[in-house]
Amino acid sequence: MSDISGEESGAAGGISGRGADTQDSRFAASMAYFERAAKVIPGGIYGSKSPGFLVPGHFPYYLSRARGSRIYDADGNEFIDYLCGYGSQIVGYGNPAVDGPALEQARKGDLLNQPHPVMVELAERLVGLVNDMDWAVFVKNGTDATTLATSIARADTRKQVIISAEGAYHGAANWCSTNVFPVFMQAEQRDVRFFPYNDIQALEALFAANRGNIACIILTPYHHPTYKPQQLPTPEFLTAVERLCRAESAYFIMDDIRANFRLDVHGSHTFFGAHPDLITMGKALANGYPISVLLGTDGLRKTASSFFITGTYWMSAVPMIAAMATLDEMERMGGTAQLARHGRMLKDGLESLGREAGFRARVSGPLAIPYMTFDEDPDLYLNQRFCAAMADRGVFMHPHHNWFISLAHTEEDIARTLEAARSAFEELRLFSSSERF
Amino acid sequence: MKLSIRGAGPSLHLRVPQSSSRRPSLLLFFPNIESAVRVLSGAKGTAVPIPLDAGVLKTLAFFRRASNRATELLRAADTPAAIRARLLLAATLYGLEAIAGESYLERRMQIIPDGVVGVRAGEIAYRAAKEGRTIHVDRAVPAEADGVVSAVNSPRPDAVLSFAHYQSAIDVLSGKRQAVVALGSGEVRIGGLLPLVQGLFAVLDRLSWYMGVEV
Repeated sequence: MSDISGEESGAAGGISGRGADTQDSRFAASMAYFERAAKVIPGGIYGSKSPGFLVPGHFPYYLSRARGSRIYDADGNEFIDYLCGYGSQIVGYGNPAVDGPALEQARKGDLLNQPHPVMVELAERLVGLVNDMDWAVFVKNGTDATTLATSIARADTRKQVIISAEGAYHGAANWCSTNVFPVFMQAEQRDVRFFPYNDIQALEALFAANRGNIACIILTPYHHPTYKPQQLPTPEFLTAVERLCRAESAYFIMDDIRANFRLDVHGSHTFFGAHPDLITMGKALANGYPISVLLGTDGLRKTASSFFITGTYWMSAVPMIAAMATLDEMERMGGTAQLARHGRMLKDGLESLGREAGFRARVSGPLAIPYMTFDEDPDLYLNQRFCAAMADRGVFMHPHHNWFISLAHTEEDIARTLEAARSAFEELRLFSSSERF
Repeated sequence: MKLSIRGAGPSLHLRVPQSSSRRPSLLLFFPNIESAVRVLSGAKGTAVPIPLDAGVLKTLAFFRRASNRATELLRAADTPAAIRARLLLAATLYGLEAIAGESYLERRMQIIPDGVVGVRAGEIAYRAAKEGRTIHVDRAVPAEADGVVSAVNSPRPDAVLSFAHYQSAIDVLSGKRQAVVALGSGEVRIGGLLPLVQGLFAVLDRLSWYMGVEV
């Protein structure tokens, strides 16, 4: 067994069949681990971290450590990171203000027979902080929270149908995942209906077609489908959602797992002026420590109380301590205003550099959660090439998933990123006019 | 020639090289699906040749020779990699075309975006066009199958799937190498509209179930 710390450990195992244009030497350790993984783990690396989701040859497959805004791969390569652990890092990797109290609690005890008192303090704090919410239930992953939310809505309304936007991601459980095997379609996915985001007419038609059977609608605060530009909600859209829910006596669930605390510390619904009945939060909640939360209004407290809500690790103390510390640290580091300021620098800079190079590069979504696409290339060839070029220059920007700004990103980081982008756009321009993908 | 299987939907048409007539000269009729599976996989089974026009003997002889040869080439250890890769790619892609409309795949086909995938292994190139619940496959010259980014080099496929070597194609299409692993190790490359090409990978799962092999 080789050194499990990973970085530059000389992972044993051969590398086979690499393409001529890939960068074997830069990612030799990552590749060696991947070859070994393929023998004992289905697909080598599964799910959203699968190499095929990035641009193989330009991105590392295994990361060993991180600090602030930087990540380091198994080969020791350094990147300025704009994925932030898929959004979970908001005050920076290894922030001592969070890790200090968390590690101290780890030494005292993490998973205990009964909850740690901090559970009460965290629930009180979140209920006080997140607008319109009256109670909190802690779970681990976002999927736990969204599944619990829809289950409570169904139990309370005694209705089955869940409405969701096309392309939205609400987790990896069978009711909401992209695993569209017929066996799940006939069971867990049978009563889930879809409509195009922001399309009020389509939503009205869906409510009309399912009248009397709709338990809830679940929406992210804004639409962030993979592979596509992000879409902010129109004010009319959210008003229509609330009107239709009232008329149907259905619940409005806001799945704020991905965006929480990056738009408004009082919840992304506050940022957009929405009034959901249930809110899920996760990711940035504890700066990467595993915890998510379902928040609800008083009307659903009784039904929530009647649920047998449990999981072996759901009440572990360390992530709750980390969540309390994260909330403090977020404010100390400048909060959402700083995220937006740095997001603005990045957006304006990228769009301007793109224009200079002759591209219609567009950064969509909130400033703190940007994603760049090219209007002239909806197939994303340019995204893939651009993000590969950025990774070659030490900047980790996902080609297919939205990015995240953290409070650990500095103005210098943004400036270095834009410097790399200038050169990446130039590479893209040369490639675009002369070469094939 | 025309191939028809009782109880298995519309007939298939096969154009024999050097044939000038557009009308089929031969109907090869299979009394049931099991017979068709046996005959087409190289085992003994019942097939009824029904002459329809002149040239029937020539057509039947060609079909026998070609189908036997294809089976031999796939099975023989010394078949050149380029030929094995071509046969496997053709079987896979035309297999996708054949099963795309079946009800089992309805929802899966719904969520796969429409578009054209350029598929390439060395000098072998195809274009697979997914539209609604159908997939249409065409052979293509290699230059057309590449994902050419420049707008002036249209038509550019919406997505590309390319194998680094013929052997990579053989390993993946015969099930010796998981596609996702080959992707990670650089033997397979995908680009462009990934949900399109990844969606077709998912349809392939169903094809392998039908064919009784990992493709």
